[in-house]
Amino acid sequence: MSALKLVFNMLIFPGGLFAIMLGMLLMGVDRKLYARIQRRVGPPLYQPFIDLVKLLQKEILVPQTANYTVFRAAPLIGFIGMLAAAVMIPISGVYPGLDSSANLLVLLYLLATPALALMIGASASGSPYSAIGYSREMSITIAYEAPLLVVLMTVAMKVGMANGGFADFSLGHIISYQQQNGSMIFDITMLPALLAFLCCIPATIGTVPFDIPEAETELAEGPLLEYSGSGLAMYNLTGGLKMVIISALAVALFFPGTLGSFWLINLLWFVFKCLLVITLTITVVRATRARMRMDQALKFYLTVPVALALVSLVLTLLGVRI
Amino acid sequence: MGDLIKNIVKKSPWIYRINAGSCNGCDVEMATTALIPRYDVERLGCKYCGSPKHADIVLISGPITAVVKEKVLRVYDEIPDPKVVVAVGICPISGGVFRDSYAIEMPLDGYIPVDVNVPGCPPRPQAIIDGVAKAIEIWKTKL
Repeated sequence: MSALKLVFNMLIFPGGLFAIMLGMLLMGVDRKLYARIQRRVGPPLYQPFIDLVKLLQKEILVPQTANYTVFRAAPLIGFIGMLAAAVMIPISGVYPGLDSSANLLVLLYLLATPALALMIGASASGSPYSAIGYSREMSITIAYEAPLLVVLMTVAMKVGMANGGFADFSLGHIISYQQQNGSMIFDITMLPALLAFLCCIPATIGTVPFDIPEAETELAEGPLLEYSGSGLAMYNLTGGLKMVIISALAVALFFPGTLGSFWLINLLWFVFKCLLVITLTITVVRATRARMRMDQALKFYLTVPVALALVSLVLTLLGVRI
Repeated sequence: MGDLIKNIVKKSPWIYRINAGSCNGCDVEMATTALIPRYDVERLGCKYCGSPKHADIVLISGPITAVVKEKVLRVYDEIPDPKVVVAVGICPISGGVFRDSYAIEMPLDGYIPVDVNVPGCPPRPQAIIDGVAKAIEIWKTKL
């Protein structure tokens, strides 16, 4: 029974179908809002779905210099990684998440799989542009993983110390802590950590100020250059899933509050919060900023978000309560 | 492919530009006038893509200079089927002001099948958008 439930969770409800639909909604809202900020009409909300159907109809080209098996299999790695991650994230009031004592750490590793898949695919494609793209992808992954790790550590410390231990990496415990003591977002000492987490989101998704690996004007899409048809569709889907995972993680870590006890309302509330996170961190930022250079991005990530997260970590370790 | 899928798919044409020795006049019209916020072709589902392998509609400008001809043909081969070619400006059609030059190898349709011609030096943005709209209809029949 529990195995059947896991399959259901992975393929239909929080993972699989639901996550893909939510990811497409997030991408569609992002594109529409981006257009509205630039005062144009923009594509319809269901445009990502149309793009997906289109890409599945296109011819698949594999370069002669590519390693065929690795090139075709790489998109799947990130996609499966994201499906597995979707099962772990709790939706408060609807779905408790996969029960485990350290699922936050597993999630951190799973979050790196799309970047890894991109690197593997790019290096197997044998194109020089992809090679530059994947080396940049590697650099930026290192840049944003550092503050991300400190933020997760801070939240885990906060919850662990309240429960009398050291660090508690269980998302279930983090949610139940916030149900008892109020959401982290209302705790002033955790606000710097929240800001640091939000700073990491654009680089995780790879949108404009930090889309340095895919810079289409200089690298012609970088790691994605050689992909066409279903491979590209798979990468796009993974991008949408990643939006869901990262925004759901932000919701779970900082503001998992519920509205009443009816599941449908809680689900809609969760979707609304995800939309809010994506709009604030991706759409508004990419509509108003220009692409950074690699050194600027590294400098930014290793100073501002790390410093913010460290402030929260130190305050937490000192046990400051405001 | 069913009619339903055809009608869905035609709402997502991705555009790629090739500059085949153009003077940049047509490129300015394409990149900064016709396909940007003011006229907004994204409402038709269009998207600029940086890689020929993602493209559905390819816009080619310029008189195909002798040096760039091989490269244009190579990039054209990189575009996955089904694809549509739009020749933008008078140059790929007849050479335009470069007509009698020894350095050009126009016309474009001597080498690759051109579906839509958008003449002009440079063409008006409205003409380019009309060309893209016509290309979408042709693309639908090729699906």
